[in-house]
Amino acid sequence: MTKIAFYGEGLAGFSRTKPLPGRLLVLEGTDGVGRSTQIALLREWVESKGYAVQSTGMKRSDLAGKGIKEAMRGHTLGNLTQNLFYATDMVDRLEKVIIPALRAGFVVLTDRYVYSIMARAIVRGVDPGWIRDVFGFALVPDLILYLQADLPHLIPRVLNARGFDYWESGMDVLPSRDYYEAFVEYQTRLLAQFEAMSEEYNFHRIDATRSIREVFQTLTQEIDAVLADMKPVSLEKATQELAEARADEETEKDKQRVKQSA
Amino acid sequence: MAQLPDGRALPGKLFIVEGIDGSGKSTQLDLLSKWLIGQGYCVAFSEWNSSPLVKATTKKGKKKQMLSPSSFSLIHAADFADRLERQILPALKAGAIVLADRYIYTAFGRDVARGVAPEWVRKVYAFAIKPTVAFYFRVPLEESLRRILGGRPQLKYYEAGMDIGLSDDPYESFALFQGRILEEYDKMVDEFGLTVIDATLPLVKQQELVREIITPLLTGALRVEPSAWREVLAAESVYGRYLDEVLPERSAP
Repeated sequence: MTKIAFYGEGLAGFSRTKPLPGRLLVLEGTDGVGRSTQIALLREWVESKGYAVQSTGMKRSDLAGKGIKEAMRGHTLGNLTQNLFYATDMVDRLEKVIIPALRAGFVVLTDRYVYSIMARAIVRGVDPGWIRDVFGFALVPDLILYLQADLPHLIPRVLNARGFDYWESGMDVLPSRDYYEAFVEYQTRLLAQFEAMSEEYNFHRIDATRSIREVFQTLTQEIDAVLADMKPVSLEKATQELAEARADEETEKDKQRVKQSA
Repeated sequence: MAQLPDGRALPGKLFIVEGIDGSGKSTQLDLLSKWLIGQGYCVAFSEWNSSPLVKATTKKGKKKQMLSPSSFSLIHAADFADRLERQILPALKAGAIVLADRYIYTAFGRDVARGVAPEWVRKVYAFAIKPTVAFYFRVPLEESLRRILGGRPQLKYYEAGMDIGLSDDPYESFALFQGRILEEYDKMVDEFGLTVIDATLPLVKQQELVREIITPLLTGALRVEPSAWREVLAAESVYGRYLDEVLPERSAP
């Protein structure tokens, strides 16, 4: 990373003395804006430039991914609980995936980061100060690319993909039982939140109403600027470093397990 | 008075117990619960780490040793939030008595003992309700260790604090970890105005003290009508043998 900084207190046990030669790149934006498509394109493009890439995204942690998905299948998951569950998912990926990859020299591409969680929390009436405090453990990324599109562009894309989702339509908080009405209202509020955050967190706004190709080209220019002073680390070398670090950790744990059972 | 973080009072009463393992706090809470129910109060109970939505994740994390100090802290906060949103807060709004076995102070003690920033964990739990009374059962470390380790139990990895590498020996690690938590509790007595109960006193004496403290605070707490089902049936010369299947044990007079 060009500079190691956290949004608040940081992570317990994080070593600032060991460098993080990789780069943390974030793609943000609401549902249907084309994040996953662009990540797939960017991943290949960054790799083709000779860098090792690690991609990650929300609800993908080993620890909490499954638990969140299961809890969201029902309708009993409350606001605070959901946010803290997301925070658990985030911290687990940060500690187990993102930071180890950054240490090994990967370019880490993440499909959404803390901003999506904060925006959706604030829209749901959670205290903005509190949710920011919770994410005080999060690393400040090298680059935040905010894909921005208005509702008339978003709606057909969402319909074309998987339709209106219960949570992405804010059905848990809005009085309307009509998915379309709720989606419009919820996404409007969400977009306003992203807008409000964009300056504070230094989002690079990308006009995502354009074609996939045009959006991609703008994204590559932005990323090129961040990678300019970074020497490519081959996938083989980065993977090997990562594996070695993991193996060291496992050996350490095994030693403890043996002693514990002794 | 139980209070929301913004200072607004809730009609119900929240009594919580804290203390290191082996302080006897759960026993005291159980005695208190039985006594309150016997008095006809409506009592709800909430136990640390028991949310049906979250506990499977915590269990997996512990079993596979996947938890770091930060994720350990956050998953327990998620568990607490679920119980607060769905059990504790609704019951307090209804005017009931809520008894909690461990509360936010457990997180402050354990997480800080694991190296998490004290200010951060306090901010994470900023949404918690301020208890009517927070009892802290204070016991010297040696006494609690004697109570817990007397039977040479198999200590769990996180329970013993093995994750922070204080010692390779689980018993020694447990003792050091509990010592650290005890230090945190002692710091919290003034910070949060915890009500200290000397947990080396006889059980009955401790319970007397607890009841003395809460009795004047019970005014206005929600009561439940003692179950009149059996009387209804008795008039018809029927015993009501199926009632035991549907009535919760706790509400039986």
